[in-house]
Amino acid sequence: VIDCDVHCQPDSLDTLLDHMDPYWRSYVEDATIALGDPGSYPPHLRGDVPTSAAQLTALLDRDGTDLAIVSCLALDGVHRHPDYASAVARGLNDWMRAELLDREPRLRASAVVSTTDIEAAAAEVERIGEDPRFVQVLLPVRSDVPYGNRLYNPIYAAAERRGLRIALHAWGRPGNAPTTTGIAATYLEDYVSNAHVAQNQLLSLVAEGVFTRFPQLGVAVLECGFAWLPPLLWRFDKDWKGVWREVPWIKRRPSEQVREHVRLTTAPGHLPPSPKEVAEVVEMVGPDLLLWSSDHPHEHGPAGAPLLSSVDAQAAAAIGSANAAAFYQVAA
Amino acid sequence: MRVVVCPVREFPDGDRRIVQAGARSIGVFRVGDRFYAIRNRCPHQGGPLCLGRLAPWATADGPGDVHLDETPSLVACPWHGWEYELETGQSFMGPGETRVKAYEVTVERVPGPYVAETYPVHVEEDVVVVEV
Repeated sequence: VIDCDVHCQPDSLDTLLDHMDPYWRSYVEDATIALGDPGSYPPHLRGDVPTSAAQLTALLDRDGTDLAIVSCLALDGVHRHPDYASAVARGLNDWMRAELLDREPRLRASAVVSTTDIEAAAAEVERIGEDPRFVQVLLPVRSDVPYGNRLYNPIYAAAERRGLRIALHAWGRPGNAPTTTGIAATYLEDYVSNAHVAQNQLLSLVAEGVFTRFPQLGVAVLECGFAWLPPLLWRFDKDWKGVWREVPWIKRRPSEQVREHVRLTTAPGHLPPSPKEVAEVVEMVGPDLLLWSSDHPHEHGPAGAPLLSSVDAQAAAAIGSANAAAFYQVAA
Repeated sequence: MRVVVCPVREFPDGDRRIVQAGARSIGVFRVGDRFYAIRNRCPHQGGPLCLGRLAPWATADGPGDVHLDETPSLVACPWHGWEYELETGQSFMGPGETRVKAYEVTVERVPGPYVAETYPVHVEEDVVVVEV
């Protein structure tokens, strides 16, 4: 099994500062900054985010996981100072490399970058992407502007050059609209809306031609669900047929671009209760698009196991590890 | 059956005429010095195809890098915007899929599933005539 979404974070800002330029220690102390808490989860599924290789090793042993890709969301809570945000990103990547990857060979990592400085982000992808254990670039699914915008091109170009995938993970920086209609009144709306924001990002990536410009680029949608994909793609194709001349660089059906370039993790899944219906959803989505994930430590409920046991053996093998092995070019 | 449309001098470039041939409604289009006749019924869901707009082919080498042909060669059904080639009636929904790899810029016009009926149309002694 390849687990494509396991969370990690340093146990404190102090730990992170050991991996950062000394200037930032005084900056943090003067500004009384704390490490942002990425735990935007309801109390019953929050859990403790692993902070060490030892904890991750125990987790992999417990679950029988062959390979796990760790994602650190701590940057989401960092404010908008572009130099500080970029320094934290570099620090987190160096912390993951030294404290996690070097200590547990079954780990791969998501490189953290800040979109407050696109050139610095691209440079960081080039720097950390030299290490083949970093397999993707982690971006929050909530963005300043949609991810099809060409301002992100330097990040995509660097990721393509280094052979990294782009990951869009649920949540994002405070201040970025958590829903597709803006700032919501309740946490409940925030929480549910990651799935909708992800859908708009897929529309943007295809419509603005990111996959036309970067044909080797792959995008993984993490922790935003997947059962919503079939009706989205049906509508995307249908309307493209009538208004294609607005976007003539899309030379195949939008659904084909999504199916070629995009993958989605399985937790949470938004699945129906009966195994028969689960199998139908997976068939409609396409089992080749799904990447197994535990989303540890977030407990979305016991739906993961029924997902694999509801589909045939070939689909279960694809979802459990083969899709991730092919997408990330990793061997379990 | 021959349907006389009108004298050429009364049929300006870019214009169209809808004529009736028995039960069939037919759109006759003038593009430059060429005339086209195509059935005024979209094979998709029966929409009035020939009331739709004419458009040239659009191609793009990359995002934002769009080229338009000089003259229109497609008519778009007003119901769903699906486009048909005036000359052949062949449907084209969006630019074709590339026949080679996806990132090659060469565009092959892969046809859609529908073909609208087309008819020979010519000018006889300065009168536009459709052969049905």
